[in-house]
Amino acid sequence: MNVGLEHYLVVSALLFALGLLGVITRRNLIVMYMSLELMLNSANLALVSFSRFNDNLNGQVMVFFIITVAAAEVAVGLALIVALYRKRQSAHVEDLTSMKL
Amino acid sequence: MTTLTLIFALPLLAAVLLAFIPRNFAVVMRLVALVTTFITMLLAVKMFWNFDCAAADNDGYKFVATIPWLGSHALGIVCRLGVDGLNVGLVLMGAIVAFAAACCSAEIKSREKEFYILLLVMTGGILGAFASLDLFFFYFFHELALVPTFIMIGVWGRGEKRNFAAFQITLYLSIGALLTLVGLIDLYLQVPAEIRTFDIPSLTRFFVEHPMALASQSFIFPLLLFGFGVLVSLWPFHSWAPLGYGSAPTATAMLHAGVLKKFGLYGLLRVVIPFMPQSAQHWMPILAWLSLGNILYVGWVAMKQKNLNLLIGNSSVAHMGMIFLGIATLNLVGVTGAVVIMIAHGFLAALTFGLSGYIHSQTGTLEMSELGGLAKKMRFVGVAFVMAAMAGCGLPGFLNFVGEATVFFGAWARPGLRLVTVLAVWGALIVGAVYMLRAVRATLHGPLPEKWGRLPDAVLWRKLPYAVLLASLFLFGFAPKLLTDKIKPVTQQIVDMANAQEIATQAATVPSPVTGVSTNGTKPAPGGVKESGK
Amino acid sequence: MKLEALPWILLFLPLCAAGIITLFTLRSQKLSAGLSIGAIVSGFVLAIALIKSGGWEAREFSLNWLSIGNLNVDFGLRLDALSLMMLLIVTGVGSVIHIYSYGYMHEDEGFSRFFACLSLFTFSMLGIVLANNFLQLFIFWELVGVSSYLLIGFWFDKASAADASKKAFLTNRIGDFGFMLGILTVFAVVGSLNFAVIQEQFKANPALMGGSATLAGLLIFCGAMGKSAQFPLHVWLPDAMEGPTPVSALIHAATMVAAGVYMLCRVVFLFTPEALTVISWIGGFTALLAALIAVQQNDIKRILAYSTLSQLGYMVMAVGLGGAGAAMFHLTTHAFFKALLFLGAGSVIHAMHHEQDIWKMGALRKKMPVTFWTFLVGTLALCGVPPFSGFYSKDAILAQAWHAHNYPLFVIAVSVAVLTAFYMFRLFFVVWVGDVRSAEAGHAHESPGVMIWPLRALVVLALFGGVLGINEIFAAQFSAAEHAEASEHGLTLLQRIAEPFTNAPVAAGIGIIATLIGFLTARGLYATAKSDPLTSKLGWMSRAMANRFYFDEIYEATVIRIHDLAGTISNWIDSWIIEGLCIGVVRGGTDLTGRALRLVQTGNLQTYAFLFVLGVAVVLWLTLGK
Repeated sequence: MNVGLEHYLVVSALLFALGLLGVITRRNLIVMYMSLELMLNSANLALVSFSRFNDNLNGQVMVFFIITVAAAEVAVGLALIVALYRKRQSAHVEDLTSMKL
Repeated sequence: MTTLTLIFALPLLAAVLLAFIPRNFAVVMRLVALVTTFITMLLAVKMFWNFDCAAADNDGYKFVATIPWLGSHALGIVCRLGVDGLNVGLVLMGAIVAFAAACCSAEIKSREKEFYILLLVMTGGILGAFASLDLFFFYFFHELALVPTFIMIGVWGRGEKRNFAAFQITLYLSIGALLTLVGLIDLYLQVPAEIRTFDIPSLTRFFVEHPMALASQSFIFPLLLFGFGVLVSLWPFHSWAPLGYGSAPTATAMLHAGVLKKFGLYGLLRVVIPFMPQSAQHWMPILAWLSLGNILYVGWVAMKQKNLNLLIGNSSVAHMGMIFLGIATLNLVGVTGAVVIMIAHGFLAALTFGLSGYIHSQTGTLEMSELGGLAKKMRFVGVAFVMAAMAGCGLPGFLNFVGEATVFFGAWARPGLRLVTVLAVWGALIVGAVYMLRAVRATLHGPLPEKWGRLPDAVLWRKLPYAVLLASLFLFGFAPKLLTDKIKPVTQQIVDMANAQEIATQAATVPSPVTGVSTNGTKPAPGGVKESGK
Repeated sequence: MKLEALPWILLFLPLCAAGIITLFTLRSQKLSAGLSIGAIVSGFVLAIALIKSGGWEAREFSLNWLSIGNLNVDFGLRLDALSLMMLLIVTGVGSVIHIYSYGYMHEDEGFSRFFACLSLFTFSMLGIVLANNFLQLFIFWELVGVSSYLLIGFWFDKASAADASKKAFLTNRIGDFGFMLGILTVFAVVGSLNFAVIQEQFKANPALMGGSATLAGLLIFCGAMGKSAQFPLHVWLPDAMEGPTPVSALIHAATMVAAGVYMLCRVVFLFTPEALTVISWIGGFTALLAALIAVQQNDIKRILAYSTLSQLGYMVMAVGLGGAGAAMFHLTTHAFFKALLFLGAGSVIHAMHHEQDIWKMGALRKKMPVTFWTFLVGTLALCGVPPFSGFYSKDAILAQAWHAHNYPLFVIAVSVAVLTAFYMFRLFFVVWVGDVRSAEAGHAHESPGVMIWPLRALVVLALFGGVLGINEIFAAQFSAAEHAEASEHGLTLLQRIAEPFTNAPVAAGIGIIATLIGFLTARGLYATAKSDPLTSKLGWMSRAMANRFYFDEIYEATVIRIHDLAGTISNWIDSWIIEGLCIGVVRGGTDLTGRALRLVQTGNLQTYAFLFVLGVAVVLWLTLGK
């Protein structure tokens, strides 16, 4: 079977949908965060595959950027979640309602 | 950097500096604010002193400076600063009041960092608005100073109604500012697209040569009159002021009532009246009657107040009426008087709010039924308060009298305003004295309630702001020429522009060679002098 | 030193003293008093030097104070017979009272403050006297008002004093309201504020003001009405007696209340005959009204206050009758003997430990001999007994009414003379003669020398003030043409003494008889009285007199009520209509909208994310799906 662009894109879309589902339905912050990363990486996959099939390296360069920034972002995000957990002893979104009236 | 740039930039830079100081160093914050405003004040005094010998540009502005990296050339926005006789006094007054306000901020005991940052931003904004020669920055700096007011009332305010007060003042002033903005943009659009500019001197020259169409005048003028009017608490849009000042922290009330409020009046004189003379002629009698609303109606309201700060707030609104009346005369004497009161009232409002703030910080209340006999314990504050009350009811010796008397003379010269003047004199001499003396009687005189037996008088450094403000009132009150000689040429120019049409028609009916008046209004025309005097 | 500098120094010395005391020497009593007394005494010396060097001729020094367009205001000093004489009175009588105050106020903790206020007052009064234009006059007019406010309310922790000071200031302000309008009217027509210029213009064209002349004159008279406490603005003066007694002597007897009369004389050329008629009748009415009230007062200072009112009415009436010279003459002698009486009363009050009810005094003659004799001289002078000074000046006014053929006013003036003699001898008999009526009166003792010597100095003036030729100096000022010859060689002393009888013998005779009637009635009623016999005899009339004909109550019910009502209504509109309704609706509307929209904002992040994706899906479908 010849693996073409469509296959990659389908995988990417599936990953994105899974991530989205996770973000919307799960209540644990860490899981939500992981789902977010999943969505990010699905986008990366799409970029790389386009790059590959269009013979243009720009997409891959961009992916490198995204990975670097995502690494920094993960560090900040996880730190926030850990700090929150230490303060509240919970990482469940339902417990974090102090901004609500 | 020129003096003028420094005057307005120093407070803003200091505010940025404060942002980097950790919040535990409250003393340092206070010190930075004090030193900055003090230097600003000294610079303003120096500028005022050197004003007469400074070189003026073609439009009569001195100390002109441009900040090239601010603004947008495509839209004709250039940050240009400069002073003439009209705003040099206002800048001086603003700088002095800002220093006094910083001195009076010792009462703030929480979140000092934010407070002083906001205070300095407010100071820089006010001075920038007055010094700005560009309509855009004129408005922008005013907003920059206005927003901190809302926050300060909401966060550091006092009294149960402070939330309502903050809400009300935000609502009113935002609407006022919005109306003004619409008016200013429309004004800007009156200039053909290729030479569009926000530069006030250029606009002035343009509108002298190409008078604005009557239709646009009759649309823009009311917008700006009432937009600025709301900002100055013109009756009946005044009710934000007393409550807002009553709930505001001392320094905010001092700066807003004293200085920021004059922005609207300054705008009326600098932009509205000279650019739209026909509408001005049409609207001014109405403004004169509205000013009675301030003088008499608000004066009566002030008589009925039970809280000292509300009384002072109302009196401050009442004094605005005198300025409106002066502007409404549209003659040299009256308008000059109005400018003098603008400056005098700045000092006075700051002084009264500062003193009531001191009383509040010592007693924790400003309900007049609970106070009394305080002059026994607070000698200095008592004396200063009596002086402030006397200045408030127009006692000679203080600058306020000079302004009020001049306004009366100006208004009397307009036969149409005789009745208004009679009522205004009643309001100034009688109603004003009634509520001011009531305040003195209720807080300072009479027997001292036992619970205030241990109140301390102001210590030396807390006397300083009051002494500075009183000294300014006295100095100019004794020698008003220091101010009026600077103001006169500019008001003459404004009045000439406002009356250009009338002079032209007079010249047309009477065959005398007074031509060139309507086309060259920048020079005091012989016809203008005559008109303004009668 | 140039001679031009003298009047400026004279004017500003007291202000410097006031400033230095307030700023530096509040803690040192001696220094403060020294500065204040020094300033006014050197003022007196300078005034004499001015007269010696320049005589009584009119001259002016001025600086430009304010100039905007055609509004030119000078800060100028005008020296002429009128102002120089007034300078002498203010600084002379003022010096005596300053020195007296040193003794009277000795134990008061506000001693230095007192002298600071006193100096401020002196400065303002000198400013009125020397002013050469209307606005400057108005400026000092107001300053005098405020220093009087500060001095009446000197014991401000006493509620009555604080209220009295407020009342005095506000009543004066009502007068000033008219005054200011008058100034505006005159300026609008003449275009100048300078007295000399205005007078020139009026001379050149008497019909200058046209129809507004009478109105302008009456408006300016309003100012005098406030300051000189003429009906209907007289109510503040009796209450002003809440101030320390030297203040009552200086401000509310000798100088400030005379400022109104002085001002009328200064601008007498402005008044039309109609205006003068109104002025004379208001003066006469005030004189009679105040004299009637004085008959039933029991507070020693209030009796003197009403007597002052009544005498001021006399002076105003004289101005109205065209006798500005006579008015100024009476003003001068009145300053002497009324200051003397007030200082004497102060001495009594001092001895009685601040008891002011005359029915608690009695038989003080032997305890305080010097005060007694000086008080007697003051009384005789006030009642117009020859040859005391009051006789000459009062006779000048009576003669003026007689010569003007204004017999109704002449009758009023004579009846006031009767009443004056009556209430003054009532006071005299009750306080000095009769029995000891209270413990304080038993323990009373003579006051210290620093209070006694000023009395002695004033006695000399009260005795001889009438024959010093003061009236001739004034006459020269006001009717230069007629009396020029007479004043050139002057009258001999003997001529002066006999002058009333040669000038208008009928008026002089009637005046003396009137005094005699008053004296005899008072002696008959009070020589041995234990309480006031008149109270029961007069019935409701007495109550009305004691209650000052209910003027305070009338004002309370009208002027004050109206302002109160206006205030209440305005306040109501402000807080309910504007703040409540308008702001309330805007606020409520915003609030409701906010609450409604809040329901959409669940605060749940995942809901937002879901909605966001839904939105993206819809957008994608709309753009790509078709």
